[in-house]
Amino acid sequence: MTGSSTTPPHGPRQPRRLLVASSLIATMATGVLVLLGLLAVFADVVAPYDPLRQNLIEALQWPSSSHWLGTDDLGRDVLSRLIHGSRIAVIAAAEGTAIAVLLGVPLGLFIGYRGGWWDWIVMRIVEAIVSIPGIMVAIVIIAILGPGLHKAMIALGILYSTSFLRLARGVVLAEREEVYVRSARVIGASDSRILLRHILPNIAPPLIVQVTLTVGAVLLSEAGLSFIGLGVQPPDASWGTMLNSAAAFMDLNWFLAIPPGIAIIVTVLAVNLLGDVIRDSIGRGVAIAAKPEATPTHSGKPAPAAVAEPVVLPRLKNEVLRVENLEVMVGSGAGLPIITDLSFSIAKGETLGLVGESGSGKTMTGLAVLGLMGAGLRTTHGSIVLNGRELRSLSQKQMEAVRGNEVAMVFQDPTTSLNPAFTVGSQIAEVLRSKQGLSQKQAWARTVELIDRVGIPRAEERARAYPHELSGGMAQRIAIARALSCNPSLLIADEPTTALDVTVQQEILDLFRDLQGEFGMAILFVTHDLAVAADICDRISVMYAGEMVEMAGVDTLFSAPLHPYTRGLLEAMPHASDRNPPLPTIRGSVPRPGSWPTGCRFSNRCDFRIKGCEQRIPLTGTDRLVRCIRADELALEAAQ
Amino acid sequence: MLRLILQRLLALVPLLFIVSVLTFSFTSLLPSDPVDLILGDTGTEEQHEMLRERLGLNQPVHVRYMQWFGRAVQGDLGTSFFNSVSVMGAVMQRLPVTLSLTAVSAIIAIVVGVAAGIAAALRPRSWIDRFATLGATFGQAVPNFWFGLILAAIFAVNLRWFPATGFTPISDSPWDWLRSVILPSIALGTSSSAAIARQVRSAMVGVLQQDYIRAARAQGLSARRIVLKHALTNAMVPVVAVLSFQITVLLGGALVVEQVFAINGLGTLAIGAVRQQDIPMIQGLVLVMVALVVVVQLATDVIYGLLNPKARPS
Repeated sequence: MTGSSTTPPHGPRQPRRLLVASSLIATMATGVLVLLGLLAVFADVVAPYDPLRQNLIEALQWPSSSHWLGTDDLGRDVLSRLIHGSRIAVIAAAEGTAIAVLLGVPLGLFIGYRGGWWDWIVMRIVEAIVSIPGIMVAIVIIAILGPGLHKAMIALGILYSTSFLRLARGVVLAEREEVYVRSARVIGASDSRILLRHILPNIAPPLIVQVTLTVGAVLLSEAGLSFIGLGVQPPDASWGTMLNSAAAFMDLNWFLAIPPGIAIIVTVLAVNLLGDVIRDSIGRGVAIAAKPEATPTHSGKPAPAAVAEPVVLPRLKNEVLRVENLEVMVGSGAGLPIITDLSFSIAKGETLGLVGESGSGKTMTGLAVLGLMGAGLRTTHGSIVLNGRELRSLSQKQMEAVRGNEVAMVFQDPTTSLNPAFTVGSQIAEVLRSKQGLSQKQAWARTVELIDRVGIPRAEERARAYPHELSGGMAQRIAIARALSCNPSLLIADEPTTALDVTVQQEILDLFRDLQGEFGMAILFVTHDLAVAADICDRISVMYAGEMVEMAGVDTLFSAPLHPYTRGLLEAMPHASDRNPPLPTIRGSVPRPGSWPTGCRFSNRCDFRIKGCEQRIPLTGTDRLVRCIRADELALEAAQ
Repeated sequence: MLRLILQRLLALVPLLFIVSVLTFSFTSLLPSDPVDLILGDTGTEEQHEMLRERLGLNQPVHVRYMQWFGRAVQGDLGTSFFNSVSVMGAVMQRLPVTLSLTAVSAIIAIVVGVAAGIAAALRPRSWIDRFATLGATFGQAVPNFWFGLILAAIFAVNLRWFPATGFTPISDSPWDWLRSVILPSIALGTSSSAAIARQVRSAMVGVLQQDYIRAARAQGLSARRIVLKHALTNAMVPVVAVLSFQITVLLGGALVVEQVFAINGLGTLAIGAVRQQDIPMIQGLVLVMVALVVVVQLATDVIYGLLNPKARPS
């Protein structure tokens, strides 16, 4: 498949903008948390009033110059209570998280290291705790300890320790495998010491991530517990208790609920966003370490697009598909050409092979005909005419009608091109119903017929099988049956035998030939395998780096190839008669789009290269086409 | 399918057993003597002793557990220490209330979450994607009970579209029932819908790149059919796997949100039981909660099996 080389390259702008955005978020989130910390420490100094001082005469006041955020039901200053509440929030988050870490990590390390019964029992208990809603677990623990800030935080600490326990245990289990292998060579140091030395660096990144998640969760849970009266007890000011009293006086002064709510949201948001940034940066570190290979940067000069003389294809009798001077671009802006100046045509009942190494643009050509190249790819030039109609000018909706009815495609891997969630029969019947308007019953009958036609025994039964229950060859037969269900005039087959066993390959090729005899469709057969192409194709078109380099009837191409690349491919082909290794290979590999040579794109791998090859080479000829300025010389040479 | 259900049911037996042991031994750790709690300072030493005998408190813990377990299996969770109502009766009376909130909020969370997730996945980086991502980030920071307060202030107190407090049983009037649970359910379900939207988006983005989606397009099936049938069925597989967790979260959240709307459900019962240290009530509540979670897990497992043919035992 050529798909991997054609994913749209991300411009350098997008990631940088994201990076700036994430560092801005990180700065703001850190700012909020620092401010919160300062307020917590200096609450006594900053708060304008004593948070506990009641003044029933001034109860339930709206914001004013003397009470910026108003007063609550007992006339206490809301702003002062909010500032003192930040102290509770900081204590709660620190206490709850610390207990969770200090309880969970050592216990997780211990059971991971000891294993056996210890591990089994503790893990069953953890599973039991996790299966109960978290707030209920906290409520039960508070039932034992009694309500109050610190007791509630012990409850939350126990609750959230389960995730730290599982994390630590997982790291130990992963590391001990590795350490035991290595420690066989290290004599002297005890296992546990080695283990500890290996675990500490490995546990740090996930631990940091889990801590950020837990801090946010503890803050929300503390507010919830205080709200239902099981956390911080009145008259102490916590954001949760403030909301508790606000709830009682909602119809008299709804504003009371706003300040503590905003405080909770902003704080939790800051913690979560900072956690996201930390998570991303840890993730990025891992990604960079694991994947040193940088994405290919294309050099400044874009490869020249179609500058060669357009070839006039001779019109075929009963022509089904005609592609002329097709150009496909990838990426935004000017784009990068991945297929240039491509022309070919196929007649009814004919099979045209599209041959080349991966990265040459074969698969993309097939998808371009269907209008399914994917995001970031577009045809920018040329025409695709199917049954006398130009496809490039059709709307999405019109293309939808063309697909299936006039052109269908069979893909390389039959096991992934069938939907795993539905039976294979229903996937064929669905096409018949939605494309041909058959009834449920008719569609099913026709489906069974088709499955039988592609050579699957017990068709009725197999129709009810799921894709994973079928062998690769069987699945490909189903995919072919589906593609032919609406009797299309063109079938595009993209390496349909590559993923199959050699014995099955031949059966599938025979099936194609057989079905073509019956249905009479034209086939565009994409393959990298010349032996397969020789078997099934009438004509072969050789592609290299996004353009056609040679096209000829199958016999002519094999007996007298004109292009050096075709020759190279033929020489690299294993022959049954010739068992002497090594096979000759073509040195180098297909250049990626954007790094094509300016002249002949094969020139940097070609043994016959001369000065003239630095210019763009046109496709020449009428019946058989070739893109090489030395074609005549080389043909002579071959003849001698 | 029946086999899958039976398999899962069997696997849940040890879980229920461990939870029952845990809650029983936990609640036996209560620092105060229930007899003192009930009788207070009144009553003679003899009366204290008689009550202790009646409650079975003078027997060892494991014997009490066996007795409690034996009755629990028959559906008898004991009697409240305080108003001598049966625990099972009290729980069953409040259960429809909490279940209503959980179910309606789960429906809201799933419908909104799946719709937003699909919309975001279909147009990555569009405004709807950004909005969904932003909403998901916010949704996880907003406390459900605060959101409930705000909703009540706007739609119940100010606009008077919905009752601000109370619960109408569905058997009395389905319409009034819906009106009484809709605000708390929105308050409860919003953050879960955000979490589900995130899950659906990432699963959907992955599925839309699969070969079988391209193959379905090549076959000329309509975009709507491809997204809603072919892609969604597969994208829901990982989502359903985390759905039981989300519903557990909703069940816990319902206990708190009930308080905002003065709805008399399991939350109120639990808070009262904790304050009074009503041991049989706490034990019964936890066990019923776990049973609910188990049922939810079973249901999501079955749906998982329906969506994913490979997960079915053959």
